[in-house]
Amino acid sequence: MARTIAFKLMTPSRVIYDGRAELVIVVTTEGEEGILPSHAPLLAALKPGVLRANVADDAGVSRLMVATGEGFLQALPDRVTVLVDEALHFDDVDVAAARRELADATGRQRAPGTDPAAFAREQAIIDFAAAKLRLTGH
Amino acid sequence: MPSVRDLRDRLRSLKNTQQITKAMKQVAAAKIRRAELARKQARPYAETLAEMLDELIGSVSHVDHPFMKPGRSGAPAGVVLIAADKGLCGAFNSHLARMAELLHKEHPDARFYTVGTKARNAVRRFGVADHPTWLLGSPSKLGVARDVAQRVSDDFSQGTISEIVLISAKLISMLSQRPEKRRLVPIVPGDFHAAAAQPSAAGPKGSLEFVPSPQFVLSRLLPKYLEFTFFLAMLETDAAFFAAQLLAMNNATENASKLIDELTIQMNNARQAAITKELLEIVAGAEALNHT
Repeated sequence: MARTIAFKLMTPSRVIYDGRAELVIVVTTEGEEGILPSHAPLLAALKPGVLRANVADDAGVSRLMVATGEGFLQALPDRVTVLVDEALHFDDVDVAAARRELADATGRQRAPGTDPAAFAREQAIIDFAAAKLRLTGH
Repeated sequence: MPSVRDLRDRLRSLKNTQQITKAMKQVAAAKIRRAELARKQARPYAETLAEMLDELIGSVSHVDHPFMKPGRSGAPAGVVLIAADKGLCGAFNSHLARMAELLHKEHPDARFYTVGTKARNAVRRFGVADHPTWLLGSPSKLGVARDVAQRVSDDFSQGTISEIVLISAKLISMLSQRPEKRRLVPIVPGDFHAAAAQPSAAGPKGSLEFVPSPQFVLSRLLPKYLEFTFFLAMLETDAAFFAAQLLAMNNATENASKLIDELTIQMNNARQAAITKELLEIVAGAEALNHT
């Protein structure tokens, strides 16, 4: 069995996953980053995207996929912790609502006179909606 | 002496009141459990967030963020007051309001931001009519916390306010809650160290990597920390409110029981007196007839 690290995924309202993983792939502001055991200490800002992890329990290794909002990743040699604003499993995604959010946010972002802060906020909504759609295969 | 009928009416209304207070007590007890659960679920996130900040500050030689520097000198303080939306909870809300009022007397130019209907009303009462306000009991507490954080940090970075002070309730135990005043911004790095789940061992500087940069991660983490502090304070105030309400309703129910006992005795006395009086009249009447 491959080596594993402690992996924790949390949102403000609950702990989504708390167990062990062989590999965790997150989307940082700079692109995707894969975390394996014994990773050098790292603190990363995450942008909304699809988080993938090969999680391991007694039954074996399985794939965990969640659409996540903005957040942070902390990697230490023996553990990796991910904090995100929101996290949704495949079954929790409302595809129609995600489509609507995507369209609305895109519309607001393109409106004239949007200041940079508002632009970034809308971009986060767009990215999260896109991640939800990608997770559900749309 | 009130008549039997008056007493009976009062008793009936008292019993109704007691039923209401008893029901409210049970509702508060159920809600307190839910509020406590929400608090417990939010804790791991809070601790990790503090740990990340502690690590970050411990591993870079120089941190630079508006939140870590004193605000514009001469600007008033910004006070965020969190209280309940409803009453019937003893002196819970008025204790919080008093703390805010004292602060207002000391610094009449302080700007207020309130969460909770009672907080809003209290601040209006002491003369700050126009201020941003939110509801404590809104469906998305996190959304409210985000809005509050956004608003105060905008005001802070624009120099409208020089510091951010939070007044909220602290739940010490089910029987005791007290208002608490904390200064959130400017931030003291030691705060994170105390709140972290596993305080960093202060490793060699530069041993931690950042994506994309320490500056960027910090600029994302600090607002998140502020937002989350408001969220936790709202959860705690909520739990403390229900604890206060539980206690208040428990006392009310007990007082009603005592009153009901007293009134029942009074009513029985009054009824007995009326019966005795009637008997006396009958006997006296009969006696009078016998003597004729």
